[in-house]
Amino acid sequence: MHRILLIARRDYLATIRTKAFIIGLVVAPILFGGGFLGLALMESKPDLKERHIAILDRTGVLAVAVIQAAQESNAKDMRDKKTGRQVQPRYVFETVAPAADARAQRLALSERVRREQLYAFVEINPSVLDPAQDAKGDEEKKDSAKDPAASQVATFANSGGFGEADRWLASAISDGVRKLRLAKLGVDRGQFKQILDSINIGRFGLVSRDEKTGEIHEASKKNEAAEFGIPFGLMLLLGMIVMVGSSPMLSAVTEDKAQRLVEMLLGMATPLELMIGKVVGALGVSLTSSAFYIIGGTLALEGMGMAGLVPFGLFPWFYVYLVTDVLFLCSLAAALGAGCNSPQEAQQLAVLLLAPVMIPYFMLTFVMQQPNGAISTAMSLFPPFTPMLMLLRQALPGGVPAWQPWVGLAGVLIFTFIMVWAAARIFRVAILLQGKAPKVGDLVRWAIRG
Amino acid sequence: MDAVQIANVTKTFGDITAVDDLSLIVPEGSVYGFIGPNGSGKTTTMRMIASIFYPDRGDVRVFGKQLLGARSDLIGYLPEERGLYRRMAVQPMLEFYGELRSCRKVKTEVETWLKRLDLSQWATQKVQSLSKGMSQKVQFIAAVVPAPKLLILDEPFTGLDPVSADVVRDAILDLRRAGVTVILSTHDMQVAENMCDYICMIFRGKKVLDGTLASIQDRYGNDTIRIAADGGMGSLGGLPNVEKIRDFGQVQELRMALGCDPQEVLRALVARTRVTSFSITKPSLHDIFVRIAGPEAGEAQHA
Repeated sequence: MHRILLIARRDYLATIRTKAFIIGLVVAPILFGGGFLGLALMESKPDLKERHIAILDRTGVLAVAVIQAAQESNAKDMRDKKTGRQVQPRYVFETVAPAADARAQRLALSERVRREQLYAFVEINPSVLDPAQDAKGDEEKKDSAKDPAASQVATFANSGGFGEADRWLASAISDGVRKLRLAKLGVDRGQFKQILDSINIGRFGLVSRDEKTGEIHEASKKNEAAEFGIPFGLMLLLGMIVMVGSSPMLSAVTEDKAQRLVEMLLGMATPLELMIGKVVGALGVSLTSSAFYIIGGTLALEGMGMAGLVPFGLFPWFYVYLVTDVLFLCSLAAALGAGCNSPQEAQQLAVLLLAPVMIPYFMLTFVMQQPNGAISTAMSLFPPFTPMLMLLRQALPGGVPAWQPWVGLAGVLIFTFIMVWAAARIFRVAILLQGKAPKVGDLVRWAIRG
Repeated sequence: MDAVQIANVTKTFGDITAVDDLSLIVPEGSVYGFIGPNGSGKTTTMRMIASIFYPDRGDVRVFGKQLLGARSDLIGYLPEERGLYRRMAVQPMLEFYGELRSCRKVKTEVETWLKRLDLSQWATQKVQSLSKGMSQKVQFIAAVVPAPKLLILDEPFTGLDPVSADVVRDAILDLRRAGVTVILSTHDMQVAENMCDYICMIFRGKKVLDGTLASIQDRYGNDTIRIAADGGMGSLGGLPNVEKIRDFGQVQELRMALGCDPQEVLRALVARTRVTSFSITKPSLHDIFVRIAGPEAGEAQHA
């Protein structure tokens, strides 16, 4: 044990004293969160160029109403209500009379879009005036995917170039059409606003009873940041720390091997002591990083008056998952690194280490939408993904059934033990071998036979 | 007690047999030298003694015990390649290595050895700033701190200038005098002849020589004549009963055929040139090495 701690202390100090570690503490969150930060920045600087939209109205009555509704909506949404800053482009509409050859007309309008004379064009078909169209059979709806004339309203734009504008325009068109329908039904124009105004829906958690006092606690209003920001941030943080802590292990072991340090060390410590020492050192680095982020994040939220958002109850789970994930990934990295003869060889294997972190990232949206669905549950009970996905599910509103984190943890502990054991056997055989890089079959054979 | 007992040990790497049914004994308190061509199995044997490699077959015992992967502060090991943390300062690194082996603080021992090998002024410098020779001395200290009973040195004099080599050699001999058993490998036959109580030659994984220098030389008899004569090599061609001539420049070494009378050679020589030195000797270790592992051995095998 003394030798393990000595190796761990040396590796730990050698890492945290480097400028790279200190810079990495700051840079890693920017890199990991950079995409989201960039998105937020881009959203704050939208394209405000004027957008021309042509309305091809086949009803003969809707264009004016739609344009009026769209212009009202545009006027309302174009500027931030508090700052008055323009946050949305101004939409300029033109009406196009339907031509006899609908296909040729669509082509001509499409060409104008391609030449960037128009941003998009909208075709309003007569069926929009008859809401009963919605009740038509599935087969007919399927056809509408191919024939624009079968849609009540069809919008045409260059693929990928419409997005948010499409959603805004759909809302404005619906508004115009609904008003026309109401007018057709004889509803007084003055009542339109009252009827069509969006409804303010308050979203609350659940009412609870204090087990000791019996007092009923009112549900608190749901906070989107608490609901999704905190689970997302917690998972992002776990993945980031695990990757930052474990990924250098692969190249570090390969480098030690290439520099012949390993032979010197193996004259003083057993391969198992050496590997475990290195893994514990990396774990220390991860715990240091996590302390930096957790304490820093908590203080930042407190400073912003949002201390209530800090998920203190999840911190024990966060650390349990962090420790198991780092142990498993670092052991795997050490074993793979031991089999490599150069950093280039090691790089080719790095993808194996990224998978347990990247796959949960890819599943993030799916799990957040259906946290207790069968796939989310199954994936979060699959040991390599348990730390990140179970933590995410635990942090989401409603949480998970009480047994699941414990079953997940049992799986992770068994899996981690097997991985560390197998990695130690591979490490012992591979660490002093030189020459040809081992194949997967060799690694499996060494893990089984030692 | 014998320091090391190796019995019928075989070690293979894939299809290659690095050590083949090797048996030997290293007496306690001796300097035991491994010689042999590159790739003959010396390093693998030393790694097995240090318990870095495990034999596929056979038994390795150190001071009567099978280590079976356990590390012991009884053994100090100096690998052939430099295994030093380049970005660490010299003294902290040596203290780390010493504590790793002995599981106790070794600051005093490290300071003593740094002073002894004239490295005190480099104690706070990073290893990457050291010369090759200084690095080798630092690595030597890593092997001898703290006081092993068995010291395994793989090519300890590689990269050392004559002064540093003398310092390290004196240190090794001092340790031997203090009762430490030393196993070393070397390609320098002079080192083996001058330092080792016992010499073992491994060739293609097998032991081909083992014993004291005298006992090894006795196996080859007094079949060597060392001469210095006017004309050097030019005057030695076609001498009767001479199998091989090695030219050292000022001196030549002649290997005589079995049963040859050296006086006959001397008479033939005197008839040709002025002889300034003539001595009948046993073959040098270098000569024996070449006879076993040189091209001539290959030719003999083919014949």
